[in-house]
Amino acid sequence: MSRFYHYLNSSIMKKQIMGVTGLLLCGFLVSHLIGNCLIYFGDRAFNTYAHTLVTNPLIYVAEAILLGIFLTHIFMAMKLTLENKAARPVAYAVKKPTGRGSTIASSTMPYTGLLILVFLIFHILHFKFGPVYKITYDGVEMRDLYRLLIEYFHQPLAVVWYVFCMLALGLHVSHGFWSAFQSIGFNHPKYNACLKNLSKVYALLITIGFSALPIYCYLQGGR
Amino acid sequence: MSVKKLDGKVPAGHVKEKWDNHRFNMKLVNPANKRKFSVIVVGTGLAGSSAAATLAELGYKVDVFCIQDSPRRAHSIAAQGGVNAAKNYPGDGDSIWRLFYDTVKGGDYRAREANVYRLAQVSNNIIDQCVGQGVPFAREYGGTLSNRSFGGAQVSRTFYARGQTGQQLLLGAYSALMKENGAGKVNIHTRQEMVELVTVEGKARGIITRNIITGEFQKWAADAVLLCTGGYGNVYFLSTNAMTSNGSAAWKAYKKGAMFGNPCFTQIHPTCIPVHGEGQSKLTLMSESLRNDGRVWVPKKVGDTRKPSEIPNEERDYYLERRYPSFGNLVPRDVASRNAKMMVDEKRGVGETGIAVYLDFRDAIQRDGEDVIRAKYGNLFDMYERITDDNPYEVPMRIYPAVHYTMGGIWVDYNLMTTVPGLFALGEANFSDHGANRLGASALMQGLADGYFVIPYTLGNYFVTEKLMTDKVKVDHPEFDKALKHAQDHFKKLQNVNGKKSVDSFHRDLGNLMWENVGMGRNEAGLKKAITEIAALRKEFWKDVKVTGTDVGINVELEKANRVADFLELGELMARDALERRESCGGHFREESQTEENEAKRDDENFCHAACWEYTGPDSTPIRNIEELNFEYVALTQRSYK
Amino acid sequence: MSAKKININLKIWRQVNKEAPGSMVDYRLEGVSTDSSFLEMIDQLNEQLIAKNDEPVAFDHDCREGICGMCSMMINGNAHGPEKATTTCQLHMRKFKDEDTIVVEPWRAKAFPVLKDLMVDRTAFDKIQSAGGFVSINTGNAQDANAILIGQETAELAMDAAQCIGCGACVASCKNASAMLFVGAKISQFALLPQGKVEAKDRAIKMVSKMDELGFGNCTNEAECEASCPKEISISNIARMNREYLKSAVTGRNH
Repeated sequence: MSRFYHYLNSSIMKKQIMGVTGLLLCGFLVSHLIGNCLIYFGDRAFNTYAHTLVTNPLIYVAEAILLGIFLTHIFMAMKLTLENKAARPVAYAVKKPTGRGSTIASSTMPYTGLLILVFLIFHILHFKFGPVYKITYDGVEMRDLYRLLIEYFHQPLAVVWYVFCMLALGLHVSHGFWSAFQSIGFNHPKYNACLKNLSKVYALLITIGFSALPIYCYLQGGR
Repeated sequence: MSVKKLDGKVPAGHVKEKWDNHRFNMKLVNPANKRKFSVIVVGTGLAGSSAAATLAELGYKVDVFCIQDSPRRAHSIAAQGGVNAAKNYPGDGDSIWRLFYDTVKGGDYRAREANVYRLAQVSNNIIDQCVGQGVPFAREYGGTLSNRSFGGAQVSRTFYARGQTGQQLLLGAYSALMKENGAGKVNIHTRQEMVELVTVEGKARGIITRNIITGEFQKWAADAVLLCTGGYGNVYFLSTNAMTSNGSAAWKAYKKGAMFGNPCFTQIHPTCIPVHGEGQSKLTLMSESLRNDGRVWVPKKVGDTRKPSEIPNEERDYYLERRYPSFGNLVPRDVASRNAKMMVDEKRGVGETGIAVYLDFRDAIQRDGEDVIRAKYGNLFDMYERITDDNPYEVPMRIYPAVHYTMGGIWVDYNLMTTVPGLFALGEANFSDHGANRLGASALMQGLADGYFVIPYTLGNYFVTEKLMTDKVKVDHPEFDKALKHAQDHFKKLQNVNGKKSVDSFHRDLGNLMWENVGMGRNEAGLKKAITEIAALRKEFWKDVKVTGTDVGINVELEKANRVADFLELGELMARDALERRESCGGHFREESQTEENEAKRDDENFCHAACWEYTGPDSTPIRNIEELNFEYVALTQRSYK
Repeated sequence: MSAKKININLKIWRQVNKEAPGSMVDYRLEGVSTDSSFLEMIDQLNEQLIAKNDEPVAFDHDCREGICGMCSMMINGNAHGPEKATTTCQLHMRKFKDEDTIVVEPWRAKAFPVLKDLMVDRTAFDKIQSAGGFVSINTGNAQDANAILIGQETAELAMDAAQCIGCGACVASCKNASAMLFVGAKISQFALLPQGKVEAKDRAIKMVSKMDELGFGNCTNEAECEASCPKEISISNIARMNREYLKSAVTGRNH
């Protein structure tokens, strides 16, 4: 057991855990985005999808797993960041990037991560634990999340905040996606360029995909 | 005081059987008893690291010391070209005998035949051992080891790892050392400088060190001391040696009775980047492989200041090709160096300082194309451009000889033991197997041969024959306190001079004296002048040197002052040795002794021996003893590269 | 080409010993030849300090040809200065302009304590090496060198990793003071070669454990190490180490 813990607590395993949980979260983002895109098909499609999801008893298991992944990712991030700060107790008077290594995305990971966490808390508060409107389709009463969305994104500030956070998310995953592969040891000259490009495409997709939703809702004009 | 004839203790038998016979005849230490013997190894270059690792593997208790922050920094790391071995993998006619023959001849018949043969013999084991350690030598497509011809050798016997062979071999030896360190069998003491040798009843029994971080002196006792402290080329101030390379450990040993062999034998490497100005701190070597494609020239006209591209072919003097039609630009190092000096002396040198010659790749680029040249020498060209800001693809390189290696050093017998029992010298620190001139890619071979394959046998024999198992000395012996006090007083004295001139300025002055008078060309008048002027400079040093800082904590100036004080004595001995050796041989060129064609002329009748200098006291002239050299297997002939 | 003389302003970290607090001190240096190396410029400053009876700046340096790994200066916020693939000793003053201000600091990491001025203690690297950076072969054990066939590509990759000079620029430039490039390079060299494969599992676990124990930070894959490395060692070596470690942790029997 102690040996197992020793491995888990090693610098390499810790970042591998970061990488794997990050990749799983990337997968979650894709499924979340696809589900959300049902909004373009009107309130019925969207609300029915949401209803089917939350009424399936397996949702609790899924949510628990998802929560576990999130918490692990966040806990590891904090632990690693603190350890990294401790590894250089005296800071440089002047420290500049070489311009040949780090990027804005890579050097801001803890900050974009923190922003995403804040966003996430509000996101859950607003939508999961927010006002409950009801609507009935074919005699089945369900929550009218569609209305909630349209109302919420009627406020321009909410849209701006949301898009801003999605930019941060995009930045975060643009480094994180590629970085996860490096951490688990996948690095091959043949595929590196491809993987880095895939990372960028993925980030772009996530940012545009998730930003389009609030803008679309806003354009609906409150109804 | 009479001249002694030293006995090299060469074993009997045919040269091919000497080492085998000797290994059988030497006494062995019982495996269970090995841990009862302790060894001090000073220096962690190829010789020191390999010796320390191997002795620890055998079971001896080893303490190793280095002045850098890690054993891996020793200057062996900077060797570029490669390491020779008589593997004959390319099947081009090489053999142990040929390597032996080439080395004796290349050394201009001033090395001990039996040692050189042993060196050639174990050269193959070195390659095996290094490959086993994971040294990434260059490979052919089929996966076998790659060889190249180096330094004008007629066979391809040089193994290499890009231009960083020394680095890779040293890291191999270092990894072996760290393996033993991890196993608790070697204690490594970094940033510690040996400042005194301790002898008890004539035997080496320990050392005194000065901790570079704290300034503290410490006593260390052992059953034997191995000096693996490299060469003393920095006596010239400017050399290709590292900044901390120094002769002090060897010099302290000399003053304790270890005789100094052939101190005047220095190697001046022909292809170095020339001095840029007075702020220059060291010189950088360019691999001599460049001479395979580069053509060396100077303008025919004296004082020609035109750009090289404006000088037409007929006004260029490709002097090496002109003077040595068969070897051309590939003449041995000493010949190439001397010729460059001759051109500069004729005021035909090039560049802003006029102290350089051209090494031109124009014709090679025209012949093979820039890509081919880039593939061969790309990294060297980049290095040259980084240092000089000149692009060698467009303008010829400027090169000039620089001090590179010292063949001279502490005299040792066949067992690598000095004239002080229990004190051994390995690698460049001893008056090695290279005679008066070292061949390219042979230094790495010698350092590793001594450390991996010679000392592990001969040291055990010393322990047993001297009955050191029961005869132990501890650091509380009065001799240790005496040596400690002597060292402390020496450092205090340096600090108390309180003069006006910096340590470096003395070093620079000494370097100039040495380079001018004990450099590439030496003559009686110059050497006599050097002896008196060095003595005067030394006197001035002790009256006017300024050592800032205190004796507590890191004090770089104090460290340097100790080393320069020793160089000021060693330099004089070198001049003395050069003066007494009234012949030219290898890297030692006495202008009085040359052929009609200005080539080195040996005097085998009077000087077929190693000079072994014996210390006689601070103000007394040292005695020049000799070891006769007999050449039974390689006939004495005059070298010719015409 | 032709040398010029420039004047520069220096801000250099001065610290008496390991325990003492340090500070940045300003110096003015005139008439520096642009042909001088950065260390020769510091030599010149030291001569000036000695002339004024001040203590010269202590700094690590030895071979001055870019291979020993001793020199170690943070110059204007970059390890070994701004040039690519260059050690401090190979950096030349022609890369600076007249009247430039140059900030010089020591490597900073918990695992590399400052000893004095610009000198740091890098014995942590030796300790990592002792933990497993070797092939356990004693002198005399080796078979004929050509009995082990190693493909040229593999040999070249191993050499790429083996070129590490152990200067610590990777640690210095990493915002996390991580030593993964150094350790990754050593683990890679041996993992690639058949001679090293025998102990590969043990080696990865032991060297990484030692690295962690010594207080280096964690890698966040930003590649500043690779960008600052004078020998341009690739972070693919870190990936290889990650792979090796994972493999060992999952399948290793002995630990």
